[in-house]
Amino acid sequence: MSDDPGRVRGALDRVAARLLDASVYERVGIAVGSTGLALLIGLVVVAAAGHNPLLFAQQLVVGSVGSTGAFTRTLRFTTLFILAGVAVAIAFRAGVFNIGVQGQLIVGGIACVLSILWLAPFVPNGTLGGVGLTLVGLLAAVVAGGLYAALPGVLKAYYGANEIITTIMLNFIAIGIVGWAVDGPLRPEDARSVRTEYLPEGVGLPSVVFSDPNFSILGLGLALGVVGVVAVGMTRTSFGYDMVTSGYQASAATFSGVDPQRTIVATMTLSGMVAGLVGAVFAIMVQGYFIDPSGIGTYGFDAIAVSLLAANNPVGVVPASLLFGALESSGSHVQIHSDVPVQLIDGIVGIVVLFVAAPELFRMLAKRTGLGGEKG
Amino acid sequence: MTADAPPAVRLEGITKTFGDVVANDGVDFRLERESIHALLGENGSGKTTLMNVLYGLYDQDAGTIRVDGEPRSFDSPQDAMAAGIGMIHQHFQLVEPMTVLQNVVLGHEPVDGGLVDEDAAREEIEALCDRYGFDVDDHLETPVEELDLGTRQRVEIVKSLYRGADTLILDEPTAVLTPQEVDGLLDLLEELRASGRSLIFISHKLEEVLAAADRITVLRDGRAVDTVAAADTSRQELARMMVGREVSFDRPAREAIPGEPVLEAEELSVAGDRGLERVSEIDLTVREHEILGIAGVQGNGQTELIEALTGHRVPDAGRVRLRGDDVTDVGRRRRLEAGIAAIPEDRNAEGLVQEYDLVKNALLGNQTVPPYANDGWLDWSAVEAHAEEIIEEFDVHPPDPSATAGSLSGGNQQKFVVGREIGHDPDALIAAHPTRGVDVGSLEFIHDRLLELREEGLAIVLISSKLDELRALADRIVVMYEGTFIDEVDPTGTSDAELGLLMAGQRLDEGAERETNGRSNLEGTQSESDAEATVDRRTGGDGER
Repeated sequence: MSDDPGRVRGALDRVAARLLDASVYERVGIAVGSTGLALLIGLVVVAAAGHNPLLFAQQLVVGSVGSTGAFTRTLRFTTLFILAGVAVAIAFRAGVFNIGVQGQLIVGGIACVLSILWLAPFVPNGTLGGVGLTLVGLLAAVVAGGLYAALPGVLKAYYGANEIITTIMLNFIAIGIVGWAVDGPLRPEDARSVRTEYLPEGVGLPSVVFSDPNFSILGLGLALGVVGVVAVGMTRTSFGYDMVTSGYQASAATFSGVDPQRTIVATMTLSGMVAGLVGAVFAIMVQGYFIDPSGIGTYGFDAIAVSLLAANNPVGVVPASLLFGALESSGSHVQIHSDVPVQLIDGIVGIVVLFVAAPELFRMLAKRTGLGGEKG
Repeated sequence: MTADAPPAVRLEGITKTFGDVVANDGVDFRLERESIHALLGENGSGKTTLMNVLYGLYDQDAGTIRVDGEPRSFDSPQDAMAAGIGMIHQHFQLVEPMTVLQNVVLGHEPVDGGLVDEDAAREEIEALCDRYGFDVDDHLETPVEELDLGTRQRVEIVKSLYRGADTLILDEPTAVLTPQEVDGLLDLLEELRASGRSLIFISHKLEEVLAAADRITVLRDGRAVDTVAAADTSRQELARMMVGREVSFDRPAREAIPGEPVLEAEELSVAGDRGLERVSEIDLTVREHEILGIAGVQGNGQTELIEALTGHRVPDAGRVRLRGDDVTDVGRRRRLEAGIAAIPEDRNAEGLVQEYDLVKNALLGNQTVPPYANDGWLDWSAVEAHAEEIIEEFDVHPPDPSATAGSLSGGNQQKFVVGREIGHDPDALIAAHPTRGVDVGSLEFIHDRLLELREEGLAIVLISSKLDELRALADRIVVMYEGTFIDEVDPTGTSDAELGLLMAGQRLDEGAERETNGRSNLEGTQSESDAEATVDRRTGGDGER
């Protein structure tokens, strides 16, 4: 009896050691394998619930890449996931747990819409004004998101407040206050749903390639641009080295001259700036106005799974986002075109998220808890 | 016990490798019943690895383990415990907020009707303590975090005994104890042996091993060099076996070169983490071509002094000057750029990022220093060249820049850190325990380099707990006691016993007291090659921080 816990611990140690030592290729393999396995389990659940699993599988494919419409929808979600995933990855990489991307994107989104609506009367109509307002909106979102994330950063760095708790709380605060504003002072009299004024004509990202009004290749380009900037920043600049080193081993970073407090605040601010951009892209590219924040998809939370799947590597966020974008897209398709209930679809997406993110989460936990044996 | 009873533990041909590093290479070891067996060797010689294999923490690659003559294979410490083997780790495995009683019974709670039967546990522990004269039962309801380290260690021992251990492994048990506590521990080991337990005592300190053990097995580079009876050997012989050759620790000839003051502190007062003053109005000057040695029992403010000099800690009062410029309010990064290099006290936590390769580690501390960084942009090819330079010049093994820091042995890690810190031509170097946990070959190498740097004009502050190191390197030695420099002495004209007295807080002019108090461990360390000046008085596994 008494050696049972030992066996469990031993087995856990071996699994953890294996995961800790996994090479990049093995980790890609683990990600692909766990995705496949999760989908397989999802199909079993669908079959057990009395639906045709093959039909369901087909709907998943059709719903994500089966038509131009489905494909652009996938790309639309992918764009949002990339930005949100990078926001999370920046923080996680530096060892700061920003769970508040959702709140930051809401604050960024509303800041974007408000700045555009306020400035609109003062700029000329037409293309030039539209482009100008769009840029202002993006900038406002970046600033607002950054500030909203800097707050928990300061609280953590200088007052020792746990950033996981403060960022979660700030999510609720953002949802509550913005929700009230959008339903109250910001809601036009003639609006039948909870929303702000429409953004003026000319504000938006032109579709260019696809004709989907809710997706622009420029938005995707912007997201990929952010990925590039963050990836280069992390690997090729002094500041990036400071940040990533703080994430790996804070004591060594401090000894090398890194100011830990300032690094925490800077990391959170950067993370929030990118999160704010998610809100702006959502408002400008997808909606054209701002809505009740509790009705916005949980991009900020799903982004945690995206980032974990990508091992918190900004470049890895791109394929991870593609997977999540496809799932989200096919989910909305299946919901309309099959009789599989919505809850079941969410559950299956949940299984995928769990399976896909769990190995990386386990890796991070193992690193933190010393499971899998000490190195060296 | 009959003469032909099987030994308590017998290890045959134990081999254990970590990647390319062979930690144990065909080690044979035999622990007789009712004996104290010391496992002696330098840090990194494989002592702890061998015991971790026995304790089920590691799987050996080859070799067999026999306990009481039976071949055994342990998958986990729980298996080893079930076979009567207990291990007291260097870093205690106690849950600090929980009481002593809870810690002792943890995982083996006596149960009465589904609830922990604390009364039964208390009775049993008290009986154990009575038997061995432990004082642990005085503290049964006290949270472990309120106990001093010596008592915590006894709690660990009681915990193992409570679980029925017949064979106890103690990993560097004296490292955290005060001299008085060391004496108490050695008595306790005798006591345990007399009651029929078999003990393995891991150490790298010759005096303790000779005083406590019946037999001594010396490990070097993962191999068992020899096993000798403590009565038939000497410190000289043990040192030679540990190191593999005669090692000279004579003070190298040098001439004093007067130079300009480089690093100065004036009436410096520094508070520790808990807000208490740890450094009190210290004045200090280090000149070009000079090594200033700071001796002292650990925990007398050295850490805080170092941090105030390097820029990691803001002093409460006083000034720090570098070549006449006031740098008191300048943070670590700018002091580093200004030319104050530092070898950290704890290379594992502070000196190296374990998961980074050597290239990335070569950038640590240099991330804002040209040519490795220009206007915030990193030049990795320059960093890589730098890493290769360090590896070449400091003879780091393996000579592979893509090896992770964590995969290197302690000595090679330290050589890399030293090489990196002096790489960008600093004006001053704060070297904290530059040879701690380093094998003798690397130690001599680092010493030689420090002396060369002194020749070249570097001003060096050397903080060490090894008196022979201070004696070999320093031009002047100041002794730190309770936050002040109690005295400054000439390294060649002062005996270890005198230094020891100063470190214990007694001024040398208090001559009368010297006779009566000069006893104990301090004399024993004289002229011994690896002698630690006194036992580190650490309050925690990582020192004071």
